[in-house]
Amino acid sequence: MASVFSPPGFDFSNQLRNNFIAEKGLPLPKATSTGTTIVGCLFEDGIVLGADTRATEGPIVADKNCEKIHYITENIRCCGAGTAADTEFTTALISSNMEMHSLSTGRKPRVVTAMTMLKQMLFRYQGQVGAALVLGGVDATGPHLFTIHPHGSTDKLPYVTMGSGSLAAMAVFESGWKANMSREAALQLVKDAISAGIFNDLGSGSNVDACIITASHTEMLRNVEMPNVRVQKERQYGFRRGTTAWKSEEIRNLIVSEEVTMLGGGDEMDTT
Amino acid sequence: MTSIGTGYDLSASTYSPDGRIFQVEYANKAVENSGTAIGLKVKDGIVLAVEKLVHSKLLVPGANRRIQTVDRHIGMATAGLPADGRTVASRARDEAASFRDFYRSPPTLATIADRLGHFVQMYTLYSSVRPFGLSTILGAVDKDGPALYVIEPSGVFFGYHGAAVGKGRQLAKTELEKLKLSELTAREAVIEAARIIYLVHEDAKEKEFELEMSWIGPETNGQHVAVPKDLFDEAETKAREALASGFE
Amino acid sequence: MERIDYQQLKAGEVNLGTSIMAVQFSNGVVIGADSRTTTGSYIANRVTDKLTHVHDRVYCCRSGSAADTQAVADMVTYYMQLYSQSTGTPPPVHTAASVFQKICYENKDQLSAGIIVAGWDKEVGPSVYNIPLGGGLFRQPWAIGGSGSTYVYGYCDATYQEGWGRDETVNFVKNTLALAMSRDGSSGGVIRMCVITEEGVERLFVPGNELPKFWQGTEVLAAPKGKAVPPEPQVVPMAVE
Repeated sequence: MASVFSPPGFDFSNQLRNNFIAEKGLPLPKATSTGTTIVGCLFEDGIVLGADTRATEGPIVADKNCEKIHYITENIRCCGAGTAADTEFTTALISSNMEMHSLSTGRKPRVVTAMTMLKQMLFRYQGQVGAALVLGGVDATGPHLFTIHPHGSTDKLPYVTMGSGSLAAMAVFESGWKANMSREAALQLVKDAISAGIFNDLGSGSNVDACIITASHTEMLRNVEMPNVRVQKERQYGFRRGTTAWKSEEIRNLIVSEEVTMLGGGDEMDTT
Repeated sequence: MTSIGTGYDLSASTYSPDGRIFQVEYANKAVENSGTAIGLKVKDGIVLAVEKLVHSKLLVPGANRRIQTVDRHIGMATAGLPADGRTVASRARDEAASFRDFYRSPPTLATIADRLGHFVQMYTLYSSVRPFGLSTILGAVDKDGPALYVIEPSGVFFGYHGAAVGKGRQLAKTELEKLKLSELTAREAVIEAARIIYLVHEDAKEKEFELEMSWIGPETNGQHVAVPKDLFDEAETKAREALASGFE
Repeated sequence: MERIDYQQLKAGEVNLGTSIMAVQFSNGVVIGADSRTTTGSYIANRVTDKLTHVHDRVYCCRSGSAADTQAVADMVTYYMQLYSQSTGTPPPVHTAASVFQKICYENKDQLSAGIIVAGWDKEVGPSVYNIPLGGGLFRQPWAIGGSGSTYVYGYCDATYQEGWGRDETVNFVKNTLALAMSRDGSSGGVIRMCVITEEGVERLFVPGNELPKFWQGTEVLAAPKGKAVPPEPQVVPMAVE
């Protein structure tokens, strides 16, 4: 008999059932996943974040130009990889909480605050919220860059990559990153890192988004690189009118005509 | 009292216009009616002593103890309503046990006094409760050495070298001030404590009383225990002698 | 109620496949760790700091799940701040270790955390506590942990001696970790160390290219010194019929 005692915290027992059902051959519906390349790197006066723009559903590209650099506060942004819905809603929730926190403390928001909120939430959900994040920003204590894994662990590093294209992107960083790079050099490196993901990782593709955060200003560079624009077709492949022969023709009127009979006087509404 | 009949003394949750809480002051009166309790912090330990007034000859000697043990190394003596003393002691034990459970180490007296102070203060805030008619002397030898605190009905607490509460506190304090407490040993302090209790009882001679004494020191292995019978008897004898010679 | 195997559920999470260590000496402790954090076969962080601040003179070395150990260390840090604020004194190492142990034991079904707590306090001086996976609590003169530790128990037993000073202890930790890192695939990178004494906490860093070197496996293939190289065996091609 099942115990009436229920322990504190969340109940993960449905996981057992879901695993059982999956074993019997009925897998869970596939969530839209951002099989992704996201990166971040430190430079002389701030942080550059980067992301590709492909969203996938299994083998299908669900969105060819989605946004993966999410707003947390004006001076803090967060790239999301993993389950798209989870990255979207966790960043939105933390963004809201950061605004409230900043309002109630009367202070400018800090990156560690957002990092702590995110890691505590992800830890609470024991990896069930599939958000893998790159969090970056500049606050009163300087520039900060973190990775946050779905189970709630965090790392603080000068250059980071995440998502399925992280290996390709990290290869670019490991060979090209230097301390105290200029804004231009850092942006170019981030573009190269994301491009490495776009071209070498099946889960990543389409365009490059970037975001440059400095102490005084945040610049969102949407589609800063578009290496995969669809070119004009050299020929028209549409069938010419009259290609298909027909034997008979019938034209039907699809417009429905009704007769309306007014009951009880049918006065119009008094709109005076 | 000037404000009798004004209604400001009916509840602990109401201030009088001049900023007093009469219920707390009345609680202090309840303490003043009680037999004296004293505590001595000396160089190597703590001694607690109580003048327990015996209301009936039918009572078994040693009944209704007013010195209680909170933790192995913490003792307390109370003056005021004996039932309130039981409640506070029970809470003190719970606090000590919870500290031990969480930190796996004996609590310092400062921590226990702080938590008990909060507990007592909570009873000065609501109309539905009555402040404790109790002054508590807490004594311990913890990792920082001997410590002595008194918690008053208002919830305030102070650390002392020597403390006295109850009916004979004024005289007891005068006697305590004469001692060089920081140079005394616990054994010597037991003798002095007994003498002071016998001395302050002179004012209420008509009533029977029983001397109650406990200590914490090198001879008790850092634990709060009753003063052993031989030392107790010696102290009581010397107290009687001192009293007799003092009146010659 | 049925128990869920969380170890299995958490497949794919970030692990501190680790070599960690803490050693007590006359007036302090030396703690050390490698710097590798892995997700499967990928190194998620090659310069990780696994020596985590808990209070002024209390640190812990973390091994196991990165998420679990960070969460537990954050909780204990909070409790130690509470302790020092409310008592006015810094917490003894034993107190911090007890709180770690309590959390690790009470949530043993859901955690994979092997933690070594070490530091200095006024009451007992330097001390090292080991809290292995099940949530036990053991005071030891030295402790090693993580996946790399299994390779160096013998080395530690054979080498450790009582009465060492700071420098000997630092060397012991450095050598032990270098040996563990060279044999354990899940450990590697750099060596981070802390020397915790009454005076303060000193951080030490050994880069990956300056790790102490031991037997490298080259001698076997080389000729013994001073001996003539034996002539190459005559190879006669087999005749083909």
